[in-house]
This record gives sequence, C-alpha cells and structure tokens, in this order.
Amino acid sequence: MNVDLKEAPICDAVTLEVVRGALRASQNEMEALIERTAMSAFIREKKDFFVALFDAAGDMIVGAYRPTFGDPIRPLFEHYPAAEMQPGDLYWYNDCYGSAGSVSHSPDQVFVSPVYVDGELIAFAQSWAHFADIGGMRPGSISPDCTDIFQEGIIVPPVRLARDGAVNEDLLRVFFRNSRFPDICQGDTRACFAAVRLGERRIVELAERFGPAVITDAFRQLSERSERVATERLRNTFAPGRYQFSDSIDHDGQGNGPYRIHMELSVDDNGVVLDYSDSDDQAPGPINYLLNPAVPRAMMSMHLLAGDPTLLLNSGAGRAIDNVVLREGSVLQPRWPAPLGQRGLTMMKLLSGSQGLVNAAGGQATAANCAYVIIFARGIADDGEPFLLTDGIGVGYGGRPDSDGIDAVYYVAQENYPAEMVEMSYPARLRSYGIRCDSGGAGQWRGGCGVVREIELLAEEATFSIRIDGAEKPPWGVHGGHNGGPGRAVVNPGTPQERELDPFSDGNVVKRGEILRLETGGGGGWGHPFDRNPERVLKDVLGGYVSRDSAERDYGVILDADGEAVDAAATKARRADRPTVGGMFHRYGYRDILE
Amino acid sequence: MSDMRYAVAIDTGGTFTDVTLFDRDDGRMWTAKTPSTPENPSTGFMNGIATALEQAALSPVDLAQVFHGTTVATNLILEGKGATVGLLTTAGFKHVLAIGRQDIPRRANLFAWIKPERPVPPERILEIPERLDIDGNTLVELDETAVRAAARRFRERGVNAVAICFLNSFVDPCHEARAGEIVREEHPDALVSLSSDVLRVFREYERSIATVLNVYVMPAVSHYVGQLAERLESEGANAPLLIMKSNGGVVGAGEVERVPAHTALSGPAAGVVGARFVGAAAGYQDVIGIDIGGTSADICLIKNGQYELTNNGRVGDWPLSFPMLDINTVGTGGGSIAGISDIGALTVGPRSAGATPGPACYGRGGEEPTVTDAHLTLGHLPPYLLGGTMTLDVDAARNAIERKVAQPLGLSVEEAARGILSIGDNDMVGAIRVISVERGHDPRDFALIPFGGAGPLHGGSLAKLLGAKTVIIPPSPGVLSAMGLLVSQFRADYARTCLEGPPDYDHARMAQTFDELETEATAWFDRERVPAAARQLTRSASLRYRHQGFELTLPWEGESVTPETTQATLQAFHALHERLYTFAQHDTPVEIVTLQVAAEGSLPQPRPTEIPAGGSLEAAQIDRLPIHFAEGTQTVPVYDRTKLSAGVTFSGPALVVQLDSTSLIHPEQRATCDRFGNLILETD
Repeated sequence: MNVDLKEAPICDAVTLEVVRGALRASQNEMEALIERTAMSAFIREKKDFFVALFDAAGDMIVGAYRPTFGDPIRPLFEHYPAAEMQPGDLYWYNDCYGSAGSVSHSPDQVFVSPVYVDGELIAFAQSWAHFADIGGMRPGSISPDCTDIFQEGIIVPPVRLARDGAVNEDLLRVFFRNSRFPDICQGDTRACFAAVRLGERRIVELAERFGPAVITDAFRQLSERSERVATERLRNTFAPGRYQFSDSIDHDGQGNGPYRIHMELSVDDNGVVLDYSDSDDQAPGPINYLLNPAVPRAMMSMHLLAGDPTLLLNSGAGRAIDNVVLREGSVLQPRWPAPLGQRGLTMMKLLSGSQGLVNAAGGQATAANCAYVIIFARGIADDGEPFLLTDGIGVGYGGRPDSDGIDAVYYVAQENYPAEMVEMSYPARLRSYGIRCDSGGAGQWRGGCGVVREIELLAEEATFSIRIDGAEKPPWGVHGGHNGGPGRAVVNPGTPQERELDPFSDGNVVKRGEILRLETGGGGGWGHPFDRNPERVLKDVLGGYVSRDSAERDYGVILDADGEAVDAAATKARRADRPTVGGMFHRYGYRDILE
Repeated sequence: MSDMRYAVAIDTGGTFTDVTLFDRDDGRMWTAKTPSTPENPSTGFMNGIATALEQAALSPVDLAQVFHGTTVATNLILEGKGATVGLLTTAGFKHVLAIGRQDIPRRANLFAWIKPERPVPPERILEIPERLDIDGNTLVELDETAVRAAARRFRERGVNAVAICFLNSFVDPCHEARAGEIVREEHPDALVSLSSDVLRVFREYERSIATVLNVYVMPAVSHYVGQLAERLESEGANAPLLIMKSNGGVVGAGEVERVPAHTALSGPAAGVVGARFVGAAAGYQDVIGIDIGGTSADICLIKNGQYELTNNGRVGDWPLSFPMLDINTVGTGGGSIAGISDIGALTVGPRSAGATPGPACYGRGGEEPTVTDAHLTLGHLPPYLLGGTMTLDVDAARNAIERKVAQPLGLSVEEAARGILSIGDNDMVGAIRVISVERGHDPRDFALIPFGGAGPLHGGSLAKLLGAKTVIIPPSPGVLSAMGLLVSQFRADYARTCLEGPPDYDHARMAQTFDELETEATAWFDRERVPAAARQLTRSASLRYRHQGFELTLPWEGESVTPETTQATLQAFHALHERLYTFAQHDTPVEIVTLQVAAEGSLPQPRPTEIPAGGSLEAAQIDRLPIHFAEGTQTVPVYDRTKLSAGVTFSGPALVVQLDSTSLIHPEQRATCDRFGNLILETD
C-alpha cells in the first residue's frame, strides 16, 4: 500500500488504541520467539531478556515493566548517524561506558534494527538478553572478585552487525571465541536476531496499514499520555518541598563498605529534580551502577503508572522528572574502568529507594524488597564436561499499603530452576527448597518470606560465587512494620564441618557431598504488626511462614494449646501492651532517617 | 450398521445447553437449545436430550452414542470451588506450590502484583521422608509409618481428596504407588491421585499443580459423570457416554473419573474439532477457528487438517502441562464492555456484561455499551432476533454508546461504535498472530472459520485485517461445538520423560519406553472396548537443541527405534526448527526429551449434510436494512440463511440471518453458499 504522507490523517482516538494493542502484540511475539529458541538457562528458564520498540528519534514507546536499562538507541548515533542507517541494518553492543549506562553490565547484549517504510526511518526494534558467559576472569563473566570491567568479559562497542541483511560473521566469530560456552552464545545470538527482525516486520505492517504518519503520531500520543498522567500523579504524591532517602549496600565483594545510596527529590516551580550526588564514592568491587538517567525515571514512573494497562512505561512517562543529577566518581556514576557486574544489588536498592522517597514524603508506598539472590557454581562434572550452574533464588518483597509482600519471588518474568531440572542438567541435588520461616518483616501487611535452598554437590569440586545483600542491613520496614530477615549462606549446616560463607563472595570451594544451604532475606513489613488480623497470623503459623514465637512476640497473637486457633482473649490482653512506633522506617528499631 | 445410526451431542455452556441429534444414515440433524442448569447441570443435559429426541420422534434406546462437552472441571478451577485437597510430598519440599516458579508475570507491575492463592494451602501439605535420585535409585526409603499417620490425619480432618507428588517420581513411581496403597488402606473414602499417573514428566511444580487440580475437580466431576450415566440408564439409553477431553478426543466416563483434569478444555476443544470438520468438508485443510462467545474469543489453528497440541497450556492462573489443543483465549466477546479509562483511553473488555444484565440493547438493565450494542447501532444486527423470541432495543444501544464513549471522545455515535469494533477486532487479531507465529505460520495462508453466536459478525472484518482470502461461515455457527462432538474420535495421550542425547542415544531404552506407553494405551483401548481394526497408535517425540528449554514435538520417523529412525527424526527436527524459527543448527547436539504415544480409536464418521441446489437468491431475501459503513450508509439486502440453496452467490454488503447468529458480508466481499450450506466469503 502506498500512503501519501501529506494526505494521511493524524492518529484518531480509536486508531491510537489499535496501535497500542498491536505494539503490545508485537512485543509478545518477539518475546515468545526468544523464549522458545534461546539456549542459555539464563535466558530461556530465568527469562533474563527484554524487547522494546522505539520511535525514530530513539525514544522508547513500549518498554517492559522492568526499569533496568537506559536509553539504548542513542548510543548508536554517535557512531552511525541515523541518516547513514539503511533498511536491513542490525546493530549490536554491550559497552556500558560507551553507552552512558544504557546497558549496565557487559553480559547484557543489545541488538537493534532500524525500521523503514518507503525509505523513511520510522522506528527501532530492540532486544536484549543476558548472555551466560562472554569471557572474563570467571565462568559466568561476572563475579564479586572483579575489580575492573575488563575482567567482566569482552566489550563490544556499538557496531553494525548486518548491512542489507547480510550478517558480519567475522565479528561474531570473535565474540563466540571469547565465550567459555560458544555454542550457547551462538544460539542466544540467533534467537535475539530473529526477534528484532520480527519486531521490524510487525511495525512495517502496522505502518503499511495506517500510514507512517499515523504511526508516528500514535507514538507521540502514547508518549505524551504517559507523561501527562505521570506528571499529574507525581505532583499529587509530592507537595512542593525536598525529600530525602538513603540506604546502604553491605559491601562491594572486596571487603569495602557499606556503601550509602542517597537520593533527594525536590519539587518546586522550576520542576522536579532527582539528585543522587550525595551517594558514596565508587567502589573497588563490582557493585557500581553506571546509572543512565532513564533508569530512575522509569523506576518512579512505574510506581506512578501502576494500575492502568493503557498507560505504557516509556520515555514520556520518564519526563515527569525534569532532571536527574549524578556525581561522577560516585557509586552511581563510576569512572571507567570500574567493575559493574553485580550492579543488580544496587539496582534493587534504588528500586526500593524510590518507594522510600514516597514514604518519606508521607505517601503510601511499599516497604523494601530484598535484592534477589544469585549463585554461580563452576566445576568439572564426572563425565569430564565443564559445567556452569547459575541459580537465581527468590527472596521476599516488601509489604504494601493494602497487601502482604510477595513471598519467594525473584523478579519480573524470571523463573527458578526446578529441582528436577537441576538434577537432570547439573551434578547437583536439592536437599530442600522451601519458605524460610520468620524472614518476612512483621507488619499489618507482612513482608514476603525468603526461601531456603540446600544444594548437595555431586562433582569432585566446584567453586561457588554467592551474591546475597542485606545480611548487615536487611530490607527496611515502614509505617510501623519491621525490617525483613537477613540472608546467609552456610556449608554443611548442623554438622561439625559447618562453615558460614561471606554472603557476597567468590572462590568458595565446595567438595563432593558437601551441602550449601542458602537462606534468602525477606521483605520489610508495612504497618504496625499488632494491627494484623489475628486470623492471618494464624494462617501464617500453620503454613510455616511465621513461628509461634514470632506470632506472640512480634504480632501479639496467642494461639491455643494445639496451635490451631487464635486465643482471642489472650491476644487481646497481649495486644493491650502495644509497642510505640518511633519513626517512619524500621531496621532493628524505628527511625526516621535510615542511614 | 443400524445400531450406529443415531448419535447425540450435548455441549453445556454457561447460559445454554446445545443439543444436536444426528442420523448417520441419512445425514438428518435435529438441534435443540435449552437453558443450562448450573445448580445441577445434569438436569439441563437430560432436558436437552429429551427435547431433541422428541423432535426426531425417537426414544433414548435408539441412541448409539452420547457425546458430551462439559465445563464442570473448568469452572471449578476458574472459580476456585473444588474439593478440600491434601498433598503428600517429599520431605524438604513442602513449599514447591507456594514458591511456584518464583516469577512475576512479564506484563505485571511488580508493585501491584499479588501471587495467586494456591488450590492447596501449605498446612494441608504433609512431608514424607523418601527420596529417589534422578536415575531412580533410592536415596531414602519410603517412610510408610509417616504415610499412615498423614492419611489418618487427613481422614480425621475430613480431607477426602489426596494428591501424592514425590520428587523424581516421573523416573520411577514406586514410592508414589506404595504411598497411594497405604492412603487407600487408612482412608478408604479418599479419592487419590498420583502424579506419576496424572502427568509423568519432569518439573515438580507443574506436575504437582496438575495432580492437585486433578483431585481437586475429581469429586465433583465423578459425581456429575456418574449422575449422567445413571440418568441415561434410567431413561433406557444403553449408549456409552463419551466425554471430550482437552486434547480434542473423547474417552469413556470411567477414564474421565480417573483423570478428570483432562477435561479442563473440554468445551472449547469440541469447537476446534468442529472447525476442522467444517474446513475439511469445504475443501480447506489450513484454517483458523475463532469461537466468539459472550465474554471471550477462543482461537485455534489447524494446519494440513491437523490441530496442534501444546504441553504448555494454562487454565486460569495454573499451568496444565497435559497435551491439550493449542487454544488462545482473548477476553473479547459480544458482551465485552466498552468504556473510557481515567486517562481518556477507549477500552473494550475484559469486563463483560454476561447474560445478565447483558448488553444495553437486551433491555435487562444493562447500561454499559458492549460489542453487541456497537453492532446493533451500525445495523450489523437486525433489531429483532429471528425466531421472534426477543427484540433488540436500538435506542438503548445508541444511548449507552453516546453517553459512555461518543460524548467523552467527541465522536459521533457511529464513529464510536466503529471504534469499539476496531479495538475488539484488533485484540482478536493480536491473539491470532501470536498463535500462528508461535507455530511459524502466516495467517494469510489460512481460511478463517468464525463461529459461536458472535463469530459471523466479525469474520469478515478479521479477514480484512489479517489479509486472509477466505472466510467459511458454517451452517450452524452457534452449535459448531456440538457438531465437533459428533465427529470426534477416541483419543488418549501417553508421555514419559526419557532424556537421551548424542553420541549414543540409548535405543533400547527408548524402545522400551515406547513399548511401555503402548501397553498403557492398549489397556485403555481394552477398557473402552475399541475394536482392533479401529485402533491406531502413533509415536512421537519432543526434541530440542541441547541447552534449549522448549521442545518441538514431531512424529517418530519409523516403526521401530533404530539408529536410522533416530537419525531421520533428528533431521525432521532440524527442518521443523528452521521452518518455525528461521534457522536450524546442524552443528549443535539434539536431545530427545519426551517420548509420546497417541492412541486413537475411530468412531463411525458422519458425512456432512448436503443442502438442496437451484433455489433463487430472491426467494431468500426477507428484508432490506440500513448499515452505517465508514464510507456512508447503505441499505443492504437481508437473507434468510435457511432459504439459501447450494450454489447461490451474491456480493456484499449484505446480512444473512439465522436462528443462532447473523453474518455480516462487507462491501468488497463475495459470498457463495456451498453444497454443505457453508457460506464462503471471498475478498475481491
């Protein structure tokens, strides 16, 4: 279909919703393709990949509810001005510092395809995925041991991977040669390719149906709509003034810390500014988060846009915040070549921090989530094959103004490895896998519980990397709720050989038959625990989420002799003696300023 | 064979029970629609049969088979109203269900998402000391005392539905089997489900959920099926009761009582079978069926006359990894409500006006505009329903659209109505795209078969959006599911995880696994009394490239398991992967993950009924009504479907009305009535 641009109408209200639906459907298709074809368990089972669609200027129109990535199209323009791009091109990078933090650790590979209709650039389709191994000092590429980014695998600056549809296989051979698992790397690359090509095709079809001018106008409106609502809701959440919140990361994997993250939100006639410059200096270890300003923008707008599926999380929504201030040399804006591999910890602190800011402003936001836990195990199986087990383990999320925190959860769209899958694929056996009692912060709305996972090694020897944050400074509670429980890692629990591991460390050698027990942290509680419905407490006790001791001590709920019903009179008496709340936040005691 | 002459099909829906009685000898058909009776579905079932038999002047003893599609299990699962279930599991793994897969759904906002309540709370999950390793070796013996204590505890607490799911039981079910015996001894009233019986494949969460849901629906389904069988017998019917499963085949009532979770998609599956039958009769092997009801649209794809099965189906919040027809459901139907969100966006669904109050035009108190109101406003529906039982209130429809959509958006009522339909159509197109692309197909290569009450109103516009060249509107779109039941075959699927990889695929082990599956299948054939000549066993395997997480299922290439047939199967896998995903990887090892045996027993198939030819188009025209197209209002002819004879052909725009639905023919489409009474629409 040929469309006369001059004659094409701009997008009407109905077409707008049709385009929105079609963009979402395209995103679904692209995701389905990656999920079905990718090879690393990281991508296919843990689902650590995302796809998004952008307008011709590189502004995100449809993103994912996962504020981890920044502004991924513009870094290409420095090397390949848009005017020089062509249909059939494909671009690729993982260069964190070369993309101003649009990707924030090197294992994430970004693939981008420009979309043309009648020779006109109208959009970009993008996919990114976390590749299991791209070289570096340890299998899995990221490790608490890394002290510069060169140790975290090969760095690919923005490059043109295809022209006229012909892929530059030479580039790929270099890349695959740098991986310890080149076959998996190759399979994952092919899956990501196929996905962006599919996205490209879908946008072209949409533009052919409605005309490129209508699509471009729809992009603009979808963006403006999110911006308008986010701006309005932000103004309703924060009265003019200055709000501060800070929290800390235990340590950097190199024995340094804690590292304080500080954020200040100021709202006045000149606009809304998020300022992180008072955060601590960058760390020698890999917890640095090269923060692209789009990330905190997305974190805040995700909170603001909750509840309406017609609002897309996109660049427009992020514009509710006028400015993001970062200080070079800080843990949120480190200098090259500081290591970045474990920035997931910092990211989870920031995400909860955005909620902390809302609470500090007197708003109703959630208590802190625990940062999800990940372990890497590497060794040689008895058949002589090297193995790399990367096991993501769920934690508890923060209690909310109207519901409990999520129990045993990892993150958006990332699944666990079933015990039977682990035993089938790796020289390991699960001894137990369950809810960790009493790890959720007590509250009117309880923090989610973390999990217990015990892994027995069935190979001669393996080296484990462990990433657990919040052992020292567990997730905070709010509005009277208590902090969540801290996580820990211990080998051979309950035996004379028991030894506790540094919760954020690499190089932990485990021998055949030894058992690694991981206990992950819980989310903070929301509201005074004495206000929790006693029947909910009873249900928690029966289900193994809360112990009877904790029910009495923290919730003031007394059960009858056989523990199967609430003793109403005794509970009433116990609850008469109600602890007072001495501050907005709670971490081993109430306080208004956390750090 | 006269004793095979009459078959009856009963499709119980939320509002109506559709009954079709079929004479295999001469192709005659009688249909009846009676109100469903949710409080006791067997009443509506028997009323429907009685009405149909009366029309045909037959009695129950004349029936050769009674086919049934039921939503009893589906509704129990969706509404959370199943039995109080207890679960026995391996010590250390009590919270497998509570943890699930530890993910937040991709489209959910993590600040707002709430993990769905599990069908069994942890306090009714008891841990049993026992453990097998991944090769089936015993690491910890089954603690029989603990099983006895648990069974007694369940008995004392009135927990009469017990699921047993032990780790690695898919490799060797010995511990589960023994535990099942003990539970039955200690608690004879309990219904017991073993995971190794229900779903013998790996991944403990999915297997546990399937087992729990199976026993969760078992008491109600057993009671229901037992009641049906009893009432049929007391009415003098000797015909076997055959029930549609989610895999598109039927089984006897006894099998359903054993694994009732297999009926979770019983209702929609019948529609898919019907769509395949209609497509094949009209000469189309590649079709997409769209069943549009009041609250949702069910979409399925049929390629080369075969529907696709998936092992990744879901019912409500739960994965159900049984082989089931790959049906994609989207929450848009005739009753879907249109409105303007807080931020001014026009939305359609997923809220539905249902049967009560129903669309505004039903005049039963519904004030919110629905998809049906939009059709009526534009003239796609005549203001009366044929048969004369009900008139539609055009003013009420227009008012609702005016107030809730047109005014807020500054549109005319007609523009608003077209907007509502565009959005509804677009949602369905998105769902069709996903299901076709996931299978590597281009929807333009398929004919569309719209059915269900609202299907024929949307078929033409969906075809335009998808670029499909042909639309087939079946003779009775509203009762196609009942037709599907009548043409169904016996089918049961048997699967077992059997992980094998290069270089030395263990051919003996695979052969033995196939043999075991076929032994199970044969035992089922015997139970159903399927004659030897009607039995067919088909072997298939699920394969993947090493390290992939999704398998592709394809037929085993040959009768036996040899290095040659294995190689041929691997080659077929490479080819399929390339077709679906644009690339194959011949340099990458291929693993065989699951072996499967499909057991099919053929039942006598009706021939599609032919309609008379030679009548004139003019004779069928009963009215002329205005339709408001975007290009302007046109007065179009209205045809009575029952008066269209084979071979007539006409151009759109036009309406074709019949008892159970109305078809909209668009201006650039041409309609032909084929000899089976299908209306074939083609775009010029």
